[in-house]
Amino acid sequence: MSRKAKGKRPYFFENPESDKLLAIIMAVAGELSVVRDRLDTVERLLEQKGSLTRADIEDYEPDESVREARHAWREVYLERVLRIVHHELESEKAGESREGYEQAIADLAES
Amino acid sequence: MAQTQHDVLPRATHDEAARQDFIQSFKVYLANNVSPGNREVYDQRVKPQFEKEHGRGPKDRHEVRKAMGADPYYQFWSSLQRTSQEMMWDSVSASVDRQLDDLVGKAKSGGQGKTLGSLRLDPSVEVPHYHAKVDIHCQPGGYHTELREDDVAAGAIYDRAVYIYTMGRAGPLNSDMGDSAANFMRRTFPEFKPRAILDMGCTVGHSTLPWVDAYPEAEVHGIDVGAPVLRYAHARAESLGEKVHYSQQNAEKTDFEDESFDLIVSQILIHETSSKAIKRIMDECHRLLRPGGMMVHLETPPYAAMNDEFDEFIMDWDTYNNNEPFWGPSHEIDYRELAGDAGFDRDKVRLELAPSALAEAAGRTGVFQCGDFAGAGEWFLFIAEK
Repeated sequence: MSRKAKGKRPYFFENPESDKLLAIIMAVAGELSVVRDRLDTVERLLEQKGSLTRADIEDYEPDESVREARHAWREVYLERVLRIVHHELESEKAGESREGYEQAIADLAES
Repeated sequence: MAQTQHDVLPRATHDEAARQDFIQSFKVYLANNVSPGNREVYDQRVKPQFEKEHGRGPKDRHEVRKAMGADPYYQFWSSLQRTSQEMMWDSVSASVDRQLDDLVGKAKSGGQGKTLGSLRLDPSVEVPHYHAKVDIHCQPGGYHTELREDDVAAGAIYDRAVYIYTMGRAGPLNSDMGDSAANFMRRTFPEFKPRAILDMGCTVGHSTLPWVDAYPEAEVHGIDVGAPVLRYAHARAESLGEKVHYSQQNAEKTDFEDESFDLIVSQILIHETSSKAIKRIMDECHRLLRPGGMMVHLETPPYAAMNDEFDEFIMDWDTYNNNEPFWGPSHEIDYRELAGDAGFDRDKVRLELAPSALAEAAGRTGVFQCGDFAGAGEWFLFIAEK
């Protein structure tokens, strides 16, 4: 089956390539998260059993506390990935501007 | 809380599960940590700028949309939101494709022999234009696409994806909507004991099973236009030990006899139809109900119930960006007029906000937004009596 839903996709940035790049970056971020979960599984199994097979990894079912720990890791991880978006908003709230910054340069040169 | 396992729920490999978990975390993150910033940029820069230019504030969601569309923060959130939706379908579709032979086999064997309920398919049922034009909420192939004999892919994909989309907040059986509506009806009308119940637009039965549990004496029917979701619904219900009679029918015109039901329900059906279809569906409800029978349709709250034009605008995002073309217009329906035109007493129409059965106030965003539509802990109910 086609993996594309019928209906023309909206693009949000002035340049649609930015939307595409963001989609690609988030897919890569997702794959890193998958690898990290797999590593977490391997570590937990090794800690428990000392050795493991690929089947052990496939059969591993994280319990609620592991699921929560992984979700918490992903939340912090996403915060790192999306840092710039939050900083932009913080800057806006603080009323910062580049003019203000340049003013600081001028001020410090004289005081 | 993990999704309740049943015979036809797709299994995930270690990495498929990790991929789906990532998307769930991503969606939760967007809802909790990125989406709320839209309100801030609106209040702090978009609205003041609009006021400066027009000498007044934006008068409706369309003006907000135009103004917000140029804002880089909103653009970023929207782009991420759309991408999260595409990633969700992609991750679930890939997993279902891998095990489709197995799922088709299980659905076939689980739905045959001595069963509690039944399944009646009708290949002559046409896919209505409101499902054929675009794939609703971006599910590739929608509810109806069949690529092989006895296909259940659309149902399997939907079951898993709804759990991810709602971020688990519809409960382990994705039953929050049905549970909330059924709880409300039992609490509000304790004497009402329906013998026959019809669920319109039932898809895989997430909201059908709660009615079986709420009224164990009743015979419960579920109809939908999509064959693959119905095959899946039947196998799912049997696996969970619930008795439902599923049939492939369009709610605009069914083959049930006049006055066949005491209670007709639907959950988030209305916004996936069209302005003409919903009128015909109301006519059909009136024909199918016995005198004294009731209909209850669950939706997200109408725009009129929103706090302001900004909340309307956020709620309307799906209309333009998530393949929900009737979402906006459906949230402006005059329900009294709609019911009155179909023969119901318009003065007796009840429009209610019912508490979400599974709402855990602490975990909710308090904002109506994608994937957390009961975010404020309430569902909208449209109730009429014949």
